[in-house]
Amino acid sequence: MLISWELLKKFIDIEPIDLTPEELAERLTFSGSEVEGITYTAGKMKGIVAARIDALETHPSESKYSIAHLNTGTGENVCVTSATNMKKGDLVFYAGAGSILPDGTEMGTRDFHGVESFGMMLSAEELGLHDVDDPSGLLILPNDAMPGDDAKNLYHIGDVILDVSITPNRGDLLSLLGMAREIKGLYPKSTLKMPEWMRPLEQKEEWTEEFGKISLPDKGCYAYRLGLATNATMKQSPLTAKVDLAHLGMRPIINAVDVTNYIMLMLGQPLHAFDLNTLPEREITVRAAHNGEKMLTLDGKERVLTERDMLITSGGEAIALAGVMGGEQTGINDDTSTIVIESASFSPIRVGHTSRRLGINSEAAFRFARTVDPAMSKIALMAATTLMRDWCGAVVDYKPLSAENEIHEPTAITLTRKKLSTYLSWDNMTEAAKILEGFGIKNTGENKFVPPTWRPDITIEEDLIEEIGRFRGYNETEDKLPGELPRRADIGASMRLAGFVRNSLMARGYTEVVTYSFLPEDFPEKLRLPEDDECAKTFKIANPISRDQMAMRTTLLPGLLMGMRTSIVSGWRGPVKIFEQGKVFINNKEPEHAAGILFNGTDTRSPFANRSEDFYNIKADVEALIISRGYKPVFVSGHEPFTHAGQTANIFVDGVNVGFVARLKPAIEQELDVEGVYAFELDLTALANPKKPEFTPASSFPASFRDISLLVAVDKSNDDVMKDIRETVNEASGDELTLENLRLFDIYEGKGIPEGFRSLAYSLSYRSHTRTLKDEEVETVHNNVRESLKRKGYSIR
Amino acid sequence: MAGELNINAVRVSFDEALTAAKSLQELDEIRVKFTGKKGDLTLLLRSLGKLPPEERKSAGQELNTLRDEIETRLEQTGKKIRDAENEKQEISQRIDVTLPVKGRTSGAFHPVMQTMHEIANIMQGLGYSVATGPEIEEEFYNFECLNVPAWHPARDMQDTFYFPDGRLLRTHTSPVQIRAMLEYGAPLRIICPGKVYRRDNDTTHSPMFNQMEGLLIDKDVPFSVMKGTLAEMVNAFFGKSLKSRFRASYFPFTEPSMELDIECVECSGHDEHCRVCHGTGWLEVAGMGMVHPNVIRAGKIDPDEFNGFAFGIGLDRMAMLKYGISDLRLLFDGNVSYFMSGFQGEAE
Repeated sequence: MLISWELLKKFIDIEPIDLTPEELAERLTFSGSEVEGITYTAGKMKGIVAARIDALETHPSESKYSIAHLNTGTGENVCVTSATNMKKGDLVFYAGAGSILPDGTEMGTRDFHGVESFGMMLSAEELGLHDVDDPSGLLILPNDAMPGDDAKNLYHIGDVILDVSITPNRGDLLSLLGMAREIKGLYPKSTLKMPEWMRPLEQKEEWTEEFGKISLPDKGCYAYRLGLATNATMKQSPLTAKVDLAHLGMRPIINAVDVTNYIMLMLGQPLHAFDLNTLPEREITVRAAHNGEKMLTLDGKERVLTERDMLITSGGEAIALAGVMGGEQTGINDDTSTIVIESASFSPIRVGHTSRRLGINSEAAFRFARTVDPAMSKIALMAATTLMRDWCGAVVDYKPLSAENEIHEPTAITLTRKKLSTYLSWDNMTEAAKILEGFGIKNTGENKFVPPTWRPDITIEEDLIEEIGRFRGYNETEDKLPGELPRRADIGASMRLAGFVRNSLMARGYTEVVTYSFLPEDFPEKLRLPEDDECAKTFKIANPISRDQMAMRTTLLPGLLMGMRTSIVSGWRGPVKIFEQGKVFINNKEPEHAAGILFNGTDTRSPFANRSEDFYNIKADVEALIISRGYKPVFVSGHEPFTHAGQTANIFVDGVNVGFVARLKPAIEQELDVEGVYAFELDLTALANPKKPEFTPASSFPASFRDISLLVAVDKSNDDVMKDIRETVNEASGDELTLENLRLFDIYEGKGIPEGFRSLAYSLSYRSHTRTLKDEEVETVHNNVRESLKRKGYSIR
Repeated sequence: MAGELNINAVRVSFDEALTAAKSLQELDEIRVKFTGKKGDLTLLLRSLGKLPPEERKSAGQELNTLRDEIETRLEQTGKKIRDAENEKQEISQRIDVTLPVKGRTSGAFHPVMQTMHEIANIMQGLGYSVATGPEIEEEFYNFECLNVPAWHPARDMQDTFYFPDGRLLRTHTSPVQIRAMLEYGAPLRIICPGKVYRRDNDTTHSPMFNQMEGLLIDKDVPFSVMKGTLAEMVNAFFGKSLKSRFRASYFPFTEPSMELDIECVECSGHDEHCRVCHGTGWLEVAGMGMVHPNVIRAGKIDPDEFNGFAFGIGLDRMAMLKYGISDLRLLFDGNVSYFMSGFQGEAE
């Protein structure tokens, strides 16, 4: 919301009188309306004055130029221009040699084919006034200026504009009048006043044009008023008004339309001007739209309506979407002379619904949705009619037509000393009442307060306290901490787990990343996920920003692969070891996952023999993570659609499949232009609660070590062989002798080993907890183990 | 007499020989010369029998002492020579200790996640427990319960991602506050960290970002406690005592509402051209307010009995301020070179 300092002064005499725009901005910012910028509209302008063209002649050699002899108030000057819209006797703005334009350009003299021009005469654009006048011609001034007058002091050209951010609860501040009232509250010694055009107007005449009824069957229209202006002439608005409109961010269009915009900016009441002769019939009905009813709005779009939308109709035909946007047919045109001005009051809820659903955020809708003072429709209509008279030369003596529904009146709110003192640690009730009065909130006795009609946001005691709090400022209150804890504070299982996982993985060399929760729509196809796979059935955002951020992730892997690609593309050639933990979205659930990838980099050269890591390295990382939570992971040769068919393990914890560790499918690697990417992903649900470790005391008796080397078919897993060995030892040994440790120490394939087999060598350590084992008894047991393994089909090497 | 002289002579000649010895071989030769089968000391020991009995005992003791001494000193000198020889070999095995590390370098944290955990720890110290909730949320919890009905213009403040079934991606972590009030009742102190989503994407907005909200519900909670809590949190996080100021503001779910500015962590207001505060000297870091009675009511708590405050901070912004990160979008593209740079200074 843009606020003009010049116009503000028409609504209020601020006390202290020497208050600067900067000081006001600070006060507004701290009391809830942040001032985001202050603009001095004259910019660097200096020495630009009004001047009269005393004589005008054509350039002797270049006929496209004119030579003007100017009366500048203090003397005469010659100025050459290529503009053609001026004539002798016109007043213009003149920037003489040495003067400075708003953008900082300094004027000098210039030779135009033998004629020296001292400075230049200005267009509106060159004065920094965009949209105010034709930029190709000079700005011709009205006759109320005198040669020599400084441009800064004319037509509000040297104004100060405050850009104020208005919070959605303060619709009342979307006008100069509203801001003046707010400033009155913040500086209570100030005096509110009215600009001339707000003074009451005698309107006693009957309409010259026959007009039927205004009917309001829809209760969402609180009031609907029409004013009449006849014999109006459509032309440009007065220069000052155009400058004001431009400074406040609105393009001047034509006087009758400018009036409605101007009043809206000044008083906050959106208005609409119809050409009476374009109304389908001389009656207005405000009704709810029918479901499916269609309407063509001003922006040329056909809108399909619902019964929550409100329509202004005439003769059954929709002429406006109430409070939101006008229709195409009934607007003002250059030949309009009879104008009907609409000033209405609508339900913010209804306008809010319509404007949000249709995505129309017009100035009117913006204001109505934030509530327009219902008491304003009458005043604004009168003010607009006055301006129709002043700016359009219209006859406006006609009685306005009105229809009203029930309007909700503000009710009294009680302020208690207890609540005031609890919230603000301050309880001066007399002072509080004064502060509230300043904001127009009436004290009706017994600590009851009635907010004014323009403050529907004040409905409860806390709202009153906020008015007092923001007036006083919040910075003086002392800092305190709360008293005793209601209960022991708990960082919570999920945060604890998250902290644990990240510490474990970072310690093992992984870098933590966070990627978007939404993925490209086609990620399941890229991962080769079959259509019926749970992870392929994604939730899709109905209104995504782009197709690349459309499907909620069901796995963290694509985000990590994209991170890897980004790293490589940005020039990173080293290893990529990254992990992420976060939610995935599967089957209406949001399980917490952790995933990581390990890629050796695009440049694996190293001063050392071998830097490359593989499946067994990443397996170690996953194992460490799970084991340190107290669980024993079991890795089983497995399958995932997006992983290497021969290098994939599924991970089981307490019999539950919690994820995978694998090499990426080489075809997908190729698509990513990399080779050798290892990945894991875990559902952390099973690890949420750490398992308490169980400790076994070490035996104080020595261990005996034996080795055994077995020929094993290559498709038999190490886990299976170890299981066989353990079972065999258990059968062969008594209670006293146990297999304390079993460790694979060598794998051999090749010469001397038959095709389809490999040799696996294990170290076994036997031990007793009760005595030192004799060599012979260990030998006996171990021999039995060998024999027993042979019977199971193993050949011993 | 003769024996005595001999003993001294042996001691002296051993001393001389040992001092001169430079290698283990020479040392061996000395051992043989003195304690070998025909060594000087051995011969003296053999000659003991020839001494008169009254001298034999003292001479024997003296000789034994000398033998122990010779053996000890031979051993000591041997160790010295061996150590010196080993060291020569060690020097020949010299490596370049400035070569890069083998195997793995350390990982690195994500600044936002680090911030989330740090602030959660700070708040735990102030008695706040962590509460969590779904990211795909019902409109009811995300808006209605928070005093933002469908028509309300405050919805413009939070452009929302919707799903076809009418649910949405939560636009703030506030719905967790409602869920926590419903689950635990009052009194209550919680923080809700997590991802939130808004339909917004430019240099200063990411469609996904991270927030932490806090909620305290108790009896007769004054505004000063919220002020003190926020100051404590911010100071603990930045590790210094920062000036702060509160501006009145508006949120539909709090009344009164305000925003917290802190002294610029970069320039403390001393740099007109500061890239962090742009010369204002202040940074906006949190929104907060006393919880609106309608919101307390939505949490099935009686607002006549309990009140409280709620606040929200942007974790991404806090991380950016603490770690001097300038572009929000760098945080979510998974670029390892960016995150590692904070720890290693340059790419490998």
